[in-house]
Amino acid sequence: MSPEDLSRRMFLKSSGALAGASYLRILAPGLAVIAQAACTARDAEAPFAVLGAEEARDFAAIAARIIPTTDTPGATEAGVIHFIDRAFGAEMSGQLEFARNSMTEFNNALRGKHGDTARLDELDEETQDDFLTSQEQTPLFNMVRTMTIFGFFAMEKYGGNKGKVGWDLLGFDGNHGPWTYPFGYYDAEVHGGTNDGE
Amino acid sequence: MASKTFDTRKEVDFVVIGSGSAGGILAKELSTAGFSTVVLEQGPYRNAADFTHDEYSVLIQSELLGGGNDVHGQTFRHYEHETAGPPRDRITPIRYAPGVGGSSVHFTANFWRLRPVDFQERSLIGPISGTNFTDWPITYEELEPYYTRVDWEIGVSGAPGPFDAPRSKPFPMPPMPIKSSGVLMEKAAAELGWHAQPEPHAILSQPHNGRAGCVSCGYCMWFGCEAGAKSSTLVAMIPLAEASGNCEIRPESTVIRIDTDDRGRASEVVYLDRDGVEQAQKTKAVVLSANGAESARLLLMSASPQHPDGLANSSGFVGRNLMFNQHSLATGVYEHPLNDYKGVQVSRIIHDFYDTDEKRGFYGGGGIDARPLFSATPIFHALLGTDPNAPRWGKGYKDVLAHDFTRTLCFVGSNTSLAMDRNNVTLDPESKDASGRPAIRLTYMDHDDDLATAAFFEDRCAELHDAAGAMKMWRFGIRPNTGGEHLLGTCRMGNDPATSVVDSKHRSHDVPNLFICDGSSMVTSGRGQPTMTIMALAFRAADHIKAAAGAGEI
Repeated sequence: MSPEDLSRRMFLKSSGALAGASYLRILAPGLAVIAQAACTARDAEAPFAVLGAEEARDFAAIAARIIPTTDTPGATEAGVIHFIDRAFGAEMSGQLEFARNSMTEFNNALRGKHGDTARLDELDEETQDDFLTSQEQTPLFNMVRTMTIFGFFAMEKYGGNKGKVGWDLLGFDGNHGPWTYPFGYYDAEVHGGTNDGE
Repeated sequence: MASKTFDTRKEVDFVVIGSGSAGGILAKELSTAGFSTVVLEQGPYRNAADFTHDEYSVLIQSELLGGGNDVHGQTFRHYEHETAGPPRDRITPIRYAPGVGGSSVHFTANFWRLRPVDFQERSLIGPISGTNFTDWPITYEELEPYYTRVDWEIGVSGAPGPFDAPRSKPFPMPPMPIKSSGVLMEKAAAELGWHAQPEPHAILSQPHNGRAGCVSCGYCMWFGCEAGAKSSTLVAMIPLAEASGNCEIRPESTVIRIDTDDRGRASEVVYLDRDGVEQAQKTKAVVLSANGAESARLLLMSASPQHPDGLANSSGFVGRNLMFNQHSLATGVYEHPLNDYKGVQVSRIIHDFYDTDEKRGFYGGGGIDARPLFSATPIFHALLGTDPNAPRWGKGYKDVLAHDFTRTLCFVGSNTSLAMDRNNVTLDPESKDASGRPAIRLTYMDHDDDLATAAFFEDRCAELHDAAGAMKMWRFGIRPNTGGEHLLGTCRMGNDPATSVVDSKHRSHDVPNLFICDGSSMVTSGRGQPTMTIMALAFRAADHIKAAAGAGEI
């Protein structure tokens, strides 16, 4: 089992049925243009390219509980929904119909439990999390979880990670470099410097 | 300077198939020696400026691997009695980078020499039933001068370790500086009575041969180096080949067949150009360096009435004896930040358990390195690198991400694989790749000793975390390989034409003007970092091929 093989297995496990289907397609030429349009749309609060406003609200509500807003920004502030909207129009367009059908089922289950007009984002947070726990093993939940991670941590040009808030959460200084030693706490002494790693 | 171009209908001295770790070196060696050389490379010709830090494209979309399995169409099974099927996700089982420079472009650049024991282990410890375990037809001493050429001509940084094989010349430049992960490994090794040593890298720690040194951006593993400091053949060899005026690199040229004439000699190489149009390059001789999976596939695809089981395959050994190397790992989280995503992956390794030890009760050995692995980039960390016992969403997940990313370290064991008939590459009877070629069908089930060795190393990795003072630690258990990047053994070298594909000078036993040199030549797997050996074999093969050509023996 090589590291990459392991990552493949874990990826499969973590992304559930999403990975079982045709999943991601090769980045088409011109994706950079689409990505830029997504950023522009996000910044202008323009309508979504693929998702309707109500659909987008449903996806965004789940994403907002996967990486919640706390004392630091979450999926909402990162604009993860704009990543999701862009991806459904590009490399994940093959998953859109499945996602829509699954969201209908999700809402049916939600309304069966919380009333005919229930919306996830109108419930209190504890009730939202309880309901999502009941959905944790569904392909939809795992798909949205994976897309939330992509949207929170991929480069901003893909629509999310606005202001690099995802990278800030990790303490990741960015993807540019070059970096100079020491890098962390444990190598500070050997490199004759001080670094608390923070 | 514009690269030389050759007419496909005029015979060149050599066609080199593949431009990676072996092909790039052979192209440079043959062309600078004055031989007209055409390199057919199936992937694109990227340069340093084309490489990015775009994790979503490179890691998630497999940009440098030419896309996922929807492109490659590969199938997998553990045993031959099973029907091979596609992998459950889009990541392809056999992974390599189509493109000029091949997988030397995106590899992590850990760069170990083999040791004398690797070449003669069968004689030292005896046979292992159910395997094709055997000695190499060459020794470490014969290959050593070529390892040294790799050090100096390709560019290797490092420092001698306590168990290293003898070397005729020092490393050309010092090792990459130690990182926090290396400091923790040193501390743990000292406590356990083991020996941590600097990792040798195919990465320049300082300027060398007109190339710039490493800027420690951290994007080595699976990414191309935008600084040109990683010693791929793309930056170390291909420019010299093109400057010779005798070499044409022909990218996006997908070889589909090697044709032979009525004397049984290779006469032309048939390929699809970038528009999918079939072309054929006439040549005096062929050097096949397409990697341990692709070289075997091409030979099997070149079957003809004269060569019904595939070209150069009278032994039936083409595609067999595939060895991936087994791996193991344990992940630990430490009290203070390491920020191990900065700089090269690995700065220290442990080779105390390299040799087979009968007391363990099974064949095998390996090395251990310290690296961030999944915690080198954000998406991979969030998907794969977090504590499996922590929540996977919600505030608890976010807290773990915020705390652990900078504090995570993996100890990774890289281990032996045994050569076996049952582990092989064949042509899938139904599946095709995007170019229409029969897809690679992988059949692979690790030998019990390989799994036992990996489990042994996982235990040692866990002990290291304990000794280094990890706050928490987790491990995954050893599972059989379902794919791999180290593609070794499928056209092994040997003196007996009944049990090998090429002779000790890489000339195929069956076709006198066909030479095969890449990971497929390896007889045993080494301990997990094969590229240094593939490159040394290529320099050595080039010397023999040039001598034979000069003597009119091709």
